[in-house]
Amino acid sequence: MRQMIAAAAALAVAMIPLAADAHGPTRKKVTESVEINAPADKVWAVISNFQDMSWHPAVDKQEGKGGNAVDATRLLTLKGGGTIEEVLVKYEPEQKSYAYRINAVDVKVLPVTNYSSTIAVIPVDATHTKVEWRGAFYRGYPNNDPPPELSDEAAVAAVTAVYRGGLDALKAKVEKGS
Amino acid sequence: MARLRRAAVAAGFATAAALLVASRPSGAAEAFITNQPGNEVAVVALNGAAAPPKLVARIPVPGEPAGIAVSRDGSRAFVTSPEGKALSVIDTATRQVEKRIPVGGGPLGVAVAPSGKPVYVADWYASRLVVVDPDRPDDLRIAHTGASPSGVAVTPDSALVLSADRDDDQVSIIDAATLERVAVVKVGTRPFGITLSEDGRTAYTANVGSDDVSVIDVAARKVVGTVKVGNRPYAVALTGPLAFVTNQYAGTVSVFDTTTLAPRATISVGEYPEGIAASEDGRAVYVVNWFDNSMSVIDTQTLKVVSTLEVGDGPRAFGLFLRRTP
Repeated sequence: MRQMIAAAAALAVAMIPLAADAHGPTRKKVTESVEINAPADKVWAVISNFQDMSWHPAVDKQEGKGGNAVDATRLLTLKGGGTIEEVLVKYEPEQKSYAYRINAVDVKVLPVTNYSSTIAVIPVDATHTKVEWRGAFYRGYPNNDPPPELSDEAAVAAVTAVYRGGLDALKAKVEKGS
Repeated sequence: MARLRRAAVAAGFATAAALLVASRPSGAAEAFITNQPGNEVAVVALNGAAAPPKLVARIPVPGEPAGIAVSRDGSRAFVTSPEGKALSVIDTATRQVEKRIPVGGGPLGVAVAPSGKPVYVADWYASRLVVVDPDRPDDLRIAHTGASPSGVAVTPDSALVLSADRDDDQVSIIDAATLERVAVVKVGTRPFGITLSEDGRTAYTANVGSDDVSVIDVAARKVVGTVKVGNRPYAVALTGPLAFVTNQYAGTVSVFDTTTLAPRATISVGEYPEGIAASEDGRAVYVVNWFDNSMSVIDTQTLKVVSTLEVGDGPRAFGLFLRRTP
């Protein structure tokens, strides 16, 4: 719920796209994880389809093409509006892991550039599973002395909130058995 | 109080360093690794491909250090802090920051002339190199480059300085005596790291945007070859007939033959490999993995990773980060 409000608030601001590739000199990283009381196969079944991110509470709808093949794309529409366009760069079902990048996002939606991410389902034992979500990105402002809302701290906070919201919802969903 | 404690820590490092130097056989080497979010430089004793490396010191350096250039004689390491807008001068033997020179802008790439000065610091935001005499830190000079200069290299004869101008897809060649730009060479898309061959005749840029390496004939001022590598290449290391290239998104090192430009191998390392350098004897190549907080050691004979060491948070080691120890 909190993530949805944050996303909606972010979307209320005007859109100023930036050149996709320009960035600052200091890349940031975030790793978040959750332990789920369920077997790894069951968890993987929920998130394995790159074309279905309905497990994340901030995602309203999505369209895409290419399935789970490398270079597949998806366009996520967030609750309250705003979109994120992503491309699959690595898909390893035997490792229960895939990696993707953001092709296009407005920094008002998510204050990052040059974002790449990996999500992995790691068996702990027969009935417990760890899900790890990692991202690497630059802040939203590509020049020196960023405004606070496009700073390194803002970028880390936003990505952390996306991961935390998604992982906690995933845990709830799987453990509820829905 | 804080100052006192720092002095005590520094003294501890100095003692450890003295012991280390005394017990090390000649020809040994160390890596000085910038841990960017860790705000430190990790010092790793290297033992070639035969024995694993060992972390021997951590030197606090504020401002998210990224770029590094070790002087040819190994006595000093110059470290850029883009968020601190400064160049730190490290005494490599005592493990102490000798001085911190404000340079403004966004200092990232850095190279030092063979004599130990000047130091050329790329300002990521301002299309320029700040030229620093570390012994006269108030006297900064400027050389103009293209947009977002990143990697910097100096020819062995000290005559030329090359900068990879990332956002202009070019390399600027600057006369070190006059600081005038004498040539611009168009390369692949978004060159980041730049490495010169030992004789200074050939330069290699890792092109982040086009997933390739441009091979530049420095005297002819032109690209004489392009080599496809992995996803988002970052930097190039050279040893013997081989070039080793870190591929950030692929988590691999591409190896190619510098004579034929034919691919030789793709080696899996950690996530987001960045800084890369070859040992003096050419037997080992060292790669730091930014996401994994580790350093991989590659055996250049077998082209396999022979050991991996934890080095601290977010290692980048962008530049020439190895030094021969006395």
